[in-house]
Amino acid sequence: MSKLLQTKVNHLRRDKVLRIAMVGAGTMGQVHSNSYINIKGGKLIAICDIQEEKAKKLADIHCAAYYVNFDEMLKNEDIDVVDICLPTYMHKEFVLKSIENNKNVFCEKPIALNVGDAEEMVESAREKGVKFSVGHVVRFFPAYEAAIRTIESGKIGTPKLIRTTRTGSYPSWGWRDWYGNYDLSGGPLLDLIIHDFDWIRHNFGDVERVYAKSLGNRKHGQDHCLVTLRLKNGAIVHSEGSWAYPSGSMFGTTFEIVGTDGQIEYDSRESSPIKKHIKDKEGSKIVMESPLPADEEPYTKEIQEFIDSIIEGRKPKISGEDAIKALKISLAAIESSKTGEAVVIGGGK
Amino acid sequence: MKNIKIGVISFEHMHALSYTSALKDIEGVELIGIADSDSYRGTEMAAKFDTKYYKDYKEMLKTDVDGVIVCTNNMLHAQVVVGAANAQKDILVEKPFSVNYESAEIMLNACKKNDVNIMTAFPLRFNQAVINGKKAIDNGEIGKILSITGINHGKIPSGWFLDKNLSGGGCVMDHTVHIADLMRWFTQSEVKSVYAESGALIHNKGIDDCGILNVEFENGVFATIDTSWAHHDNYRIWPEIYMEIVGTEGVITIDAFKQSEEVYSKDSIYDDPWGSDGDADLIREFVDVIRERRKPLVTGLDGARAMEIALAAYKSSDSHKVEAVRRL
Repeated sequence: MSKLLQTKVNHLRRDKVLRIAMVGAGTMGQVHSNSYINIKGGKLIAICDIQEEKAKKLADIHCAAYYVNFDEMLKNEDIDVVDICLPTYMHKEFVLKSIENNKNVFCEKPIALNVGDAEEMVESAREKGVKFSVGHVVRFFPAYEAAIRTIESGKIGTPKLIRTTRTGSYPSWGWRDWYGNYDLSGGPLLDLIIHDFDWIRHNFGDVERVYAKSLGNRKHGQDHCLVTLRLKNGAIVHSEGSWAYPSGSMFGTTFEIVGTDGQIEYDSRESSPIKKHIKDKEGSKIVMESPLPADEEPYTKEIQEFIDSIIEGRKPKISGEDAIKALKISLAAIESSKTGEAVVIGGGK
Repeated sequence: MKNIKIGVISFEHMHALSYTSALKDIEGVELIGIADSDSYRGTEMAAKFDTKYYKDYKEMLKTDVDGVIVCTNNMLHAQVVVGAANAQKDILVEKPFSVNYESAEIMLNACKKNDVNIMTAFPLRFNQAVINGKKAIDNGEIGKILSITGINHGKIPSGWFLDKNLSGGGCVMDHTVHIADLMRWFTQSEVKSVYAESGALIHNKGIDDCGILNVEFENGVFATIDTSWAHHDNYRIWPEIYMEIVGTEGVITIDAFKQSEEVYSKDSIYDDPWGSDGDADLIREFVDVIRERRKPLVTGLDGARAMEIALAAYKSSDSHKVEAVRRL
């Protein structure tokens, strides 16, 4: 880095606080809003949602402006970063509009519903020279980071068999039930298991073949998916994603990585340091908590990483290309689940 | 009541130890001998269980033994089972039932022709956690079954298990069958097709030690079976049997050996199961089948069906295509 640039970066680090506007104040918008409380070098200054009450509620926390019209927010506010927490099928429109207005963009996962749209978004950001990243947050979950550290230390040798699960009930809280419309959400093969696909591809290697089975959307609100991947390096992956657990079930994720010299196992349902037994109407309930310090919270870390990448003038850890690669695995799984045959993914090393 | 006379043919498969111990605990059962072509192992075991040693199992078959437990290597199952059937003995054969269609067919035909009972050693059918899981499914607690995930992980065995000419295959042959049998039992349906990925990936022994099967049942249920010899030497438990059964009204998970204590000694850490392991009740069922002259709860055909799924998996693993399961 040149001396001049270094001075500029230091200046930015000290003085510049990036002005962030968020669109979408639903489930993910609320999660991101909580994270912005602890973000360094960025401030949430405006929130947009067509449901005014939702936007206002989050805006009040941050003393931010709120809008029901995205164009108006873009026009009125001085914005460095747009954070897009909208349903998947809206990503392209809002990402492109933000990029055209020279904003850096952080977009929730999955990047898009098809590769064409995703490539257009990534290309547009490249042309405009703005930063673009996608919320593949699992990379920032401490248990998943710890596993990678252990593997890098050589403790378990070369990973050869990887199992992941991501199971719970159907997300019935979606706006206008959009998760249930697979033309809009892609179902769990795209919306849910893509978390694991990104983590696996990034850390364990590119995918050669995909075989997948799912219930699909034949019954609303009940899907279950089993995916087998063969990586180009020969490792075998089993990824399970479920929206078939009864409503109210505890959401959970697991992984198991078997290497040539050892293995790692993790189960989110078995790793809560706090278990509360509390009286309630039906007798009692058990509440489990796995608390983390604010700066270890994965959503805060993923946003902080993006903010830092802008301030430091470097590439974000999760690139648009990464998001496209994860999308391709999901789309291959969807294709396999429909054709009943394995799908070979082209390209890669 | 007349004593039931049982002989054990070979301790090549280590499960013979637990089966023979179980025999000794059943009233009205007489262990008449142990046959083993390995005279060192055979005499040692015969002394341990205080019974007669036969170098040649054919000599044992000439006696008035009522039933035999066959724990040879997999490749020898056919020869020994046909011999026992022709000698009119009831048979309990270690899994996998056999290693190819030809020998499985010969074994089943010999038993049919001689009207003897043949059972496959699937002890998990007698594991109390599995039984209660099956009951819950049959009671409709999770509605109709939609999908099942099955895992049978374990440590890599040694000796003849790693020789394809004696075992018929690695982990896919060794571990598909337990879970496949339970899935058939739970769904009351047959496997239509298999897609599999497998390979010699972990232990560098030149035989498949990793395998994941995707199986589809005739009734539409889809499932996966992880057959991998995935665990390393110091893993805390052997084996691991886990199933997640997803139904229209809920989900049941079965962790068959979860009932265990954690043992921490100076030189090792391990889980010691205190729940049912199924072996004793499997042997009791075999004795009852002989005594009551009735069909066993787990038949030879059940064993053959499970083997067919493993064979289809090897085929698919080579072709990278979904392979139909050919049925005897």
